[in-house]
Amino acid sequence: MLGWMEVHGVYLHFPFCVKRCLYCDFNTTTGTLEYLPEYVNAICQEIDLVASSLSFPLKIHTIYLGGGTPSLLSVYQIDQVLTRMRLSFDLARETEITLEANPGTVSFNYLFGLHQLGVNRLSLGIQSAVPAELTLMGRIHTVEEARQSIQDARMAGFDNFNLDFIYGLPGQTKANWQQSLDFAIENAPEHLSLYALTLDDHTPMARQIADGILKTPDDDMAADFYEMAMDQLAKAGYQQYEISNWATICGDTSRVCMHNMQYWHNQPYLGFGSGSHGYSQGVRTVNVVPLEEYIKRVRSDQKQVFPLSPANEIRNEIGETTRMQEAMMLGLRLTDEGIARSHYILLYQQDYYEIFHKEIDRLLGLGLLEWVEDNQERIRLTRKARLLGNQVFMNFVGDA
Amino acid sequence: MNDHIRNFCIIAHIDHGKSTLADRMLQMTGTISEREMTDQVLDSMDLEREKGVTIKASAVRMNYIAKDGKQYELNLIDTPGHVDFNYEVSRALEACEGALLVVDATQGIEAQTLANLYLALESNLVIIPVINKIDLNSARPDEVSDDLTNLLGTPGDQIVRISAKEGLNIDQVLDAIINRIPPPGGQGDEALKALIFDSHYDSYKGVIAYIRVFDGSIKTNSMLRLMATHTELKPVEIGFFGPDLRPVSELFPGDVGYVATGLKTVSECRVGDTITLVSNPANRPMPGYRKVKPMVFAGIYPVDGDDYSDLKDALEKLQLNDASLIYDPETSQALNFGFRCGFLGLFHMEIIQERLEREYDLNIIVTAPSVEYEIVLVSGETVHIDSPARFPGEEQIAEIREPWMKVQIFTPTEFYGTVMELATKRRGIFLSQEYPAPNRVQLSYDIPLSEIIIDFFDDLKSRTKGYASLDYQFADYRPDELVKLEVLVNDDPVDALAAIVHKKDAYHKGQRLVTKLKAIIPRQLFEVAVQASASGRVISRATVKALRKDVLAKCYGGDITRKRKLLEKQKKGKRRMKMVGSVEIPQDAFMAILRLGEE
Repeated sequence: MLGWMEVHGVYLHFPFCVKRCLYCDFNTTTGTLEYLPEYVNAICQEIDLVASSLSFPLKIHTIYLGGGTPSLLSVYQIDQVLTRMRLSFDLARETEITLEANPGTVSFNYLFGLHQLGVNRLSLGIQSAVPAELTLMGRIHTVEEARQSIQDARMAGFDNFNLDFIYGLPGQTKANWQQSLDFAIENAPEHLSLYALTLDDHTPMARQIADGILKTPDDDMAADFYEMAMDQLAKAGYQQYEISNWATICGDTSRVCMHNMQYWHNQPYLGFGSGSHGYSQGVRTVNVVPLEEYIKRVRSDQKQVFPLSPANEIRNEIGETTRMQEAMMLGLRLTDEGIARSHYILLYQQDYYEIFHKEIDRLLGLGLLEWVEDNQERIRLTRKARLLGNQVFMNFVGDA
Repeated sequence: MNDHIRNFCIIAHIDHGKSTLADRMLQMTGTISEREMTDQVLDSMDLEREKGVTIKASAVRMNYIAKDGKQYELNLIDTPGHVDFNYEVSRALEACEGALLVVDATQGIEAQTLANLYLALESNLVIIPVINKIDLNSARPDEVSDDLTNLLGTPGDQIVRISAKEGLNIDQVLDAIINRIPPPGGQGDEALKALIFDSHYDSYKGVIAYIRVFDGSIKTNSMLRLMATHTELKPVEIGFFGPDLRPVSELFPGDVGYVATGLKTVSECRVGDTITLVSNPANRPMPGYRKVKPMVFAGIYPVDGDDYSDLKDALEKLQLNDASLIYDPETSQALNFGFRCGFLGLFHMEIIQERLEREYDLNIIVTAPSVEYEIVLVSGETVHIDSPARFPGEEQIAEIREPWMKVQIFTPTEFYGTVMELATKRRGIFLSQEYPAPNRVQLSYDIPLSEIIIDFFDDLKSRTKGYASLDYQFADYRPDELVKLEVLVNDDPVDALAAIVHKKDAYHKGQRLVTKLKAIIPRQLFEVAVQASASGRVISRATVKALRKDVLAKCYGGDITRKRKLLEKQKKGKRRMKMVGSVEIPQDAFMAILRLGEE
């Protein structure tokens, strides 16, 4: 094994929630908090197992504690995990350490504790500033609690946090959405994620819609909401850098989410915890989902070849073609920088404009793609294509 | 000399257990070993097993030692089970002396039971009624037995009660065949007469003709003549079905077997034709030969133009086995290059479509089926047109005539009213009614074929909770007030979406069609206008709004594979659509006219 490897990101998954939100189809559980201590031990063991399969400490520059609700872990448990990370890996001095938190599960003391431990970025799931919408989504917090959490976070020393919002809810009006946008801008977070509601058929909200209890969300309305957000956030000084993400840029300091950039740049990351995803050494891995199964597999303590873990349920080697396709599908999500040709050639030894000449020309013709500068060095989505991403991306995947 | 031979077929309504009974007989006579037994041996196509319907006839010879200690040769001819293939059925019946009439003990007599029974009686067959599925809880064998006695005059004690599934009383069926069906007769020293009742194509031996020898005999070295097509040939091989091909040196009067003709297409060797000897020809062929004509027509186009030659090859191969499938190249403005195909009926069309998709892995568009219209032009000339796209302009037309069918609907009497209503709505003319069994009525109508091919059967089934059954035959051509309903997409007429409808239906059908198309055509990157017009007047218009939002918002914790798979799936779906101008139209749209329903 070489002594050198690209710098990685690390995703840590904590699939525990007090209550499942009505639109959620993600890997999480409720009523399982009794497993939490065991789970934290297991995730630390998995980190150690994978890290020690290399003969040198791997360089890491982002850590993301996602869920579920990672803010259900105690300060002590977070410390346990971060200490394990520091012992196992070579953490860059400026490592971005994000924790997802739900308003209503965090106190000032808790946030202060996190900040002391080195957590330097907070992502708060606000979702809406309209009380009726929070009820509709089955969220456990109020608008007031959300406001309080933001203030507490500032007080605790966080100078970099994200607020999550969801738009396109059943029955949502422009006035409702304006209320959430106003709330977002007033609280001046460094980063904003606005996600269009995407419903899996199995979620309670989808069933309520199917049963006629809730209105079917209107795609055109959602498109209007998106336009509103693009306009108002630009005025408020945010730069849109990805389809669903905005950040402030002050001088040299850009507050884009480094961890997410790792995904969009098709760069490597390790995933720890049940159901987590990893991508390293050209292999995409997925861990087993059931908690007990995950804990059992990690306890087997079988060391594997890096980056594999005994908890992997799926291991997919990504071939050359797929790798280049995925680089397009992901890179084009970066609405500002797009994909640089010179960089792409450096990584894949081929020019995307040669491989996808036909597709790119057609999409340029349809007004869905544009060259950033006249020299055709960088390609990106046009403004109108930001909400039509799939119509663009699908041209770069599958059989030609 | 052929006292030991019995030639018989099984006639039954769909699902009454014909194939299962055949399987049991094959097992009991040891024709098929337990090891070789797959369910429903005679239905060899996957599609046949799936649809539970025999599509092609087939035959098998069984040897059976009866209670009298003598060995008999039983030839079972399996007949197609759908009204589309009536002519094939009639030829297969002609090759037999007797028929087992299988009736489901829970369902009783149905329209096809009757239709096939009448065909069998026309061929002077001895009928042995068999009541199947007596093992089921809902079986009412006594009632069904009484119905059969009323219908056929057969005393109750001569009606065999069985369960083919459980293998119950199969020996009684075999004994009835031997005791009640006469041996075939025929003279060995007469001029050869052998009836072709089906055929299939074999890539080594050419067309295999399924035959029944009536008079004379066939030897391997005989020079043969097909009397209708005037084809002469020396057989590659002759033999019987065991059920696979088993060569013999001679076939005698009364035998059922095959002649491997070496011919390259089934159209040279037509069902119903008579084989005779070149050296000593028969004076007259067997009666009843006719060339079957397709009744239903549709365009078949490759979704991707590059598949045109593959589609052509596939149709060619299908036609090798199916003389009633016809196809000619046609060009559509909307769909480019494809084929106009003719079928015996809708079921036949469905079979061909599925075989093209499944056996040949082709991605195709099938346009809405049409009948063949007889058009008298102002010039006095009469033309036959089977495609709405090729209708002459209204100013050139003096009269349009369309094919009418004689239709028999068999239903429990409680549905009398709703069936009447359906037939009237479809421009049906009431002819007569009969009560062949208690609580059952057979209604006879004349109905235009164009009304039958559009959803008629499904409508009938849903109105009668699935109890009614249907049979029909061509009657004649009759004039009516018909107009062409055109569809325009973004102001361009799409020829493949046009339909011929009755003038009084044009308005509401046009409106419903536009509503349907609006729902079927997905939103595109630009606005799409859909219009219906008739006689140069726009009837209805709707707009498919431009697509504004289609993007996965979120990346779930780095799950890139899921994202890619979703996009690949979306791309595949898009590929199945047809580009008409710059608009993507899904396959469903071309069938929309069939599914206007009664929303």
